[in-house]
Amino acid sequence: MTEPADLLVVDELRYSYGERVAVKSASLTCRRGEILGLLGPNGAGKTTLLSCIAGLLTGFGGKLTFDGKPFLPADDAGSRARLGLVPQELALYSEMTAKENLAFFARMQGVPSANVAAAVQRGLDLSGLVDRKDDRVSSYSGGMKRRLNLAVGDMHAPDLLLLDEPTTGVDPQSRNHLFECLLGLREQGRTMIYTSHYMEEVQRLCDRIVIVNEGVVIGVGTTEELCKQAGSAEGNLEQAFLAMTGRSLRDES
Amino acid sequence: MNTWSAAVLIARKDLNLYRRDRTGLLLGLLLPILLVAVFGSVMKFAFGGEGGIPRVTIWVCDEDDTAASQKFIAALREVSMLSVQPRVKQEARTAEDLRSLVVDGEAHHALVVGKGFGEALANATEPQLTLVRDPGRHMESRLIGIGLMQAMMSAGDGKSMSWMMGSMMQRFGMSDEGVDRMRTGMDVIQNLIGMFASGSEPKLRAPDAGDVDTKRIDMTSMFEQMVPVTKEDVSPPARPKNLGFQLAQSVSGMTVMMLMFGLMACSSMLLIERDQGTLRRLLVSRAPRHAVLLGKFLFCFIVGMIQLLVLFAFGELVFSIGAFRDPLTLLALSVTWAAAATSFGILISVWAKTAKQAEGVSTLLILVMAALGGCWFPIQMADLPWYGEVITRSTLTYWAMEGFQGMFWHQKSWTDPVMLRSMGVLWGFVVIAGGLSWRLWRRRFAGT
Repeated sequence: MTEPADLLVVDELRYSYGERVAVKSASLTCRRGEILGLLGPNGAGKTTLLSCIAGLLTGFGGKLTFDGKPFLPADDAGSRARLGLVPQELALYSEMTAKENLAFFARMQGVPSANVAAAVQRGLDLSGLVDRKDDRVSSYSGGMKRRLNLAVGDMHAPDLLLLDEPTTGVDPQSRNHLFECLLGLREQGRTMIYTSHYMEEVQRLCDRIVIVNEGVVIGVGTTEELCKQAGSAEGNLEQAFLAMTGRSLRDES
Repeated sequence: MNTWSAAVLIARKDLNLYRRDRTGLLLGLLLPILLVAVFGSVMKFAFGGEGGIPRVTIWVCDEDDTAASQKFIAALREVSMLSVQPRVKQEARTAEDLRSLVVDGEAHHALVVGKGFGEALANATEPQLTLVRDPGRHMESRLIGIGLMQAMMSAGDGKSMSWMMGSMMQRFGMSDEGVDRMRTGMDVIQNLIGMFASGSEPKLRAPDAGDVDTKRIDMTSMFEQMVPVTKEDVSPPARPKNLGFQLAQSVSGMTVMMLMFGLMACSSMLLIERDQGTLRRLLVSRAPRHAVLLGKFLFCFIVGMIQLLVLFAFGELVFSIGAFRDPLTLLALSVTWAAAATSFGILISVWAKTAKQAEGVSTLLILVMAALGGCWFPIQMADLPWYGEVITRSTLTYWAMEGFQGMFWHQKSWTDPVMLRSMGVLWGFVVIAGGLSWRLWRRRFAGT
């Protein structure tokens, strides 16, 4: 039996925080082995969309399908095991070492005890923190923490890795390291959804891009396809983005 | 900009921020008001006797049932430092009932007015009075002694003074002849009592009786011993001799209160996880979501048990409180109280929106419950109205204190109905708080 090409299908997803509608109608597909970029101005609904996919928000309208089957991560630990989350915050225990953080989250992800050491080593390699593995996270630089944040999210080699602005506040060297890590993971056939405000990041990393504006998906495609759709200069994603989402300032509420 | 302008600007900014945190503001203003109200009320009821002397409860049974005995009991009810039980309209109890109350630790002093009381009073001889008591309650004993003297003098129409004094001095070793001579000095004694009642320090001088063993006269306790009573001491045989009631009260009170303070960290743990982002990561993990809440409970519970163990070991080492006399009861109580205190912390944790809220509410509730539950002083001493009884029994600390005092002071085992009741109430709270926490957790954190 062949696997479906689309790993995740989001079908007309809707979500409101009380009276305020965050996602009006979002439909997208994430293909197996690709990095799907999720772009949108502040308050467009990117994080809400990601949170619904991760099962952190429930009670949304629409349907999620994963590997051709209905996907309910909030209720099903097995579904969650197929996801990895790299949140915007540095979701680490600062008074624990890198090694301890990695081991803890590996166990929480159900990695068998016998494989934890190998998973930790893989995480240390990925984050480039082998030499600092026994230092407390509180002593790390911002870039080191970001790298570890990514490694922790990928501890259990999930089918789909959700990355929510993972390069916030990172120096060019660490950012480059993160890009290389992500591209390396794609080489291994891993699937990722990547949100960011940085056009050049998305352009460099992502195979396809979804543009969300005011809770609605307004464009899907490669950089070239989006530029064509927006009627902007070829290869300039930022111009296409501004043309599609407008130039007025956005404020998150 | 000069220093002063900058300081004013910063202060204005902080005041604005302070004003916007409505819950914090409310807590900041309400906390002192509430604490003053609670403590003021408790103190009023606890130390509502004349001159701020604590009101002591004494149970009374009238076996004589004559006009004189009724008059004596009525006079006893008038003594401001005593709270006489059963109350006038309540059903009378038998002497055996009262003995059971003291044996069970429900009462510490019970007075049985024996048959022939009225006749003895009429003949100016010693009446039959039996005081069943917990010998460790020294302070209450002394106050009751004074109360008995006041009531006897009031009810005896002046006839009782002579035999009371005579009886007392005979106990101090005075000869019959001396007793007779002493009676002539009654006026002096009356004067002394007047001074005592007015609160001034009596300047006592031994009566000029010649043959009294003055070394045996303890002037500070003279009045307490004036009414001769047959003392019937009831105390658990296993109670350590060096364990005083105040020490047992302190150990129990501090144990109960400090565990709650120790577990205050529980109340902000989930919020810290949420704020540092690790909670999202845990929720997306393969682990069942309720495991996060259960894990927090388990951690706090273990820390609580360690705290209790350290406290009891210290108490045993330094004060020999007999903490490990009955390990099963100690374990049952410790597990119960650690679970209840942890549930309290977890409930606050899932309810609060900010760490500031969690800490403020925890502090407020812990202090109020500690005072009302009897951690600071025996709340049973307070002559509370019915609603006061309801309020004190609504606190976790009351039931924890009942359990720990039951173990330390009354030497009860965990199978005793009183102990089972207190543990049952606490486990009831664990279940209710656990259910509420679970609902709040699902709604506010787990997103399910």
